[in-house]
Amino acid sequence: MDSSTIGKSLIHRGAEADLYASKYAEWKIVIKERVKKNYRDSGLDRQIRKERTVREASALHEARKAGVRTPSLFALDLESFTVSMSLLEGPVARERLDGATSSMVRAIFYELGAQIGRLHGKGLVHGDLTTSNIILVRNEIPFLIDFGMSSHSEEPEDRGVDLHLLQRSLLTSHTVDDKACVKAAFQGYRKTLGDNEANETLRKQVQISRRGRYFAIR
Amino acid sequence: MNPEFDRPLCLGIESTAHTFGASVVDSKGQVITNVNSSYRPPSGVGIHPRKAAEHHGEHAFQVVREALATSGEVYLAPDFIAYSAGPGLGPCLRVGATVARAISSYLGRPLVPVHHGIAHLDLAITASEAHDPLAVLVSGGHTAIMVHSDKKWIFYGETEDITLGNLLDMFAREANLPSPGGLSVEQEAKHGRSLLPLPYTVKGNDVAFSGLLTAAVRLMKKGEQISDICFSIQEVAFAILAEAVERSLVQTRRREVLLAGGVAANQRLREMIGQVAQNHDASFHPVPANYSGDCGAQIASSGQYAYRSGSSVPISQSWVTPRWRLDEVEVPWIPRP
Repeated sequence: MDSSTIGKSLIHRGAEADLYASKYAEWKIVIKERVKKNYRDSGLDRQIRKERTVREASALHEARKAGVRTPSLFALDLESFTVSMSLLEGPVARERLDGATSSMVRAIFYELGAQIGRLHGKGLVHGDLTTSNIILVRNEIPFLIDFGMSSHSEEPEDRGVDLHLLQRSLLTSHTVDDKACVKAAFQGYRKTLGDNEANETLRKQVQISRRGRYFAIR
Repeated sequence: MNPEFDRPLCLGIESTAHTFGASVVDSKGQVITNVNSSYRPPSGVGIHPRKAAEHHGEHAFQVVREALATSGEVYLAPDFIAYSAGPGLGPCLRVGATVARAISSYLGRPLVPVHHGIAHLDLAITASEAHDPLAVLVSGGHTAIMVHSDKKWIFYGETEDITLGNLLDMFAREANLPSPGGLSVEQEAKHGRSLLPLPYTVKGNDVAFSGLLTAAVRLMKKGEQISDICFSIQEVAFAILAEAVERSLVQTRRREVLLAGGVAANQRLREMIGQVAQNHDASFHPVPANYSGDCGAQIASSGQYAYRSGSSVPISQSWVTPRWRLDEVEVPWIPRP
């Protein structure tokens, strides 16, 4: 499928990509185009965009096969740095969480944790897991999007980064009780990944969150 | 010097690393004097903490006297004294704190400990007229992306290993370029033409530069041009940071981007972060170049806010804290009106 010839309309401008709504046969799809960044060297820019586009397409497909809730992959076009995928109807978690009841938020995070556990169990990590990269279909069912930073890894380190990023996006962008959210997410995570590996991730997450500069030696 | 000022006056003493500085700032944030003296190690050598502390000890009297001098033998009388209490090199911090205690004790005026990193942000916010920015602090001690929330700065992204300042200084040292290393790398980079392969490490919003440093040193040993390596270090390292800033900006939705700290003097970095801000319709607030590096004015500027929020301490509790997290300190004066 050549994404340059089909009708499309801009629906969102993100940090690294523009999203367009379009149709493929009876399907509503999203065309995600990684745009050129004027601030970086053009050779480096092409290299990064190509790598991310490929990562996104392959991780979407693999995660989907593993039963993780993600959009379905429709097409990959490396000429234009685009990935086409099924359109998910619902708000991003970023928009929805602060207005939801606390029991609702806990349920969302439990389910989110289960999805992450399933992803990790298949040897994949997301790499950019923030509330901007979670879509709540029907306002409640979390789907993971934005797999451009994903990679193949079963390392507790890389898994821990996913949970760390999620927690930090809660701290900086939301008024919800981040500890309760993370606790709920971890219960779901434990269910799909298993106790041993889940505990290993948790241990690493605590380390990662203390990795910055000037922590006192305690 | 502007003779018009509003009391209380703060005398700020900076002494965390290579620079000993003293400055007087008035209650409206106006910098009245700002005098600094920096220890410069020879090329190929880093800062030796004891030698830097000796430099500070030797120059403290002259620097403070100049900062307090108005004309002839007339001196400004500060109403309180702020000092950089950390984070930084222990021997250096102790010199500044000792000088501050002495002046405080002699004049009978309150003593206010200030966090050096927060002070970078405070002076930059005042000088660039920001209010509630996404703050990007790039120096030898910090490389962090922060937003203010609930009384404190919260890290949205930071380096997992060395800082941007470390990266530039350490490469300059390996390449035997003169101190300050950041400036040398920037000058060399202007003559660089080809982009050499260097690792691009982004972990979500966090960044890491130690692998990049190792790879850059390896390129040097392979005989690549220093100018090309410097050019590549800047292009790749700054692109890593710019990308992390861009993500953070989109997620946190701040309307202003502040760039502060010593590395903020780098023109290429200013250009890149400025473009990120512009691409997302945020205003860009880089610290003026004369206030980017360590200086007394940042301590005096931040000291005004810290004093007003009641954080003066008796001399017996005027500690220095070589390791001190920026996100542990309450800064109720942010956002600015």
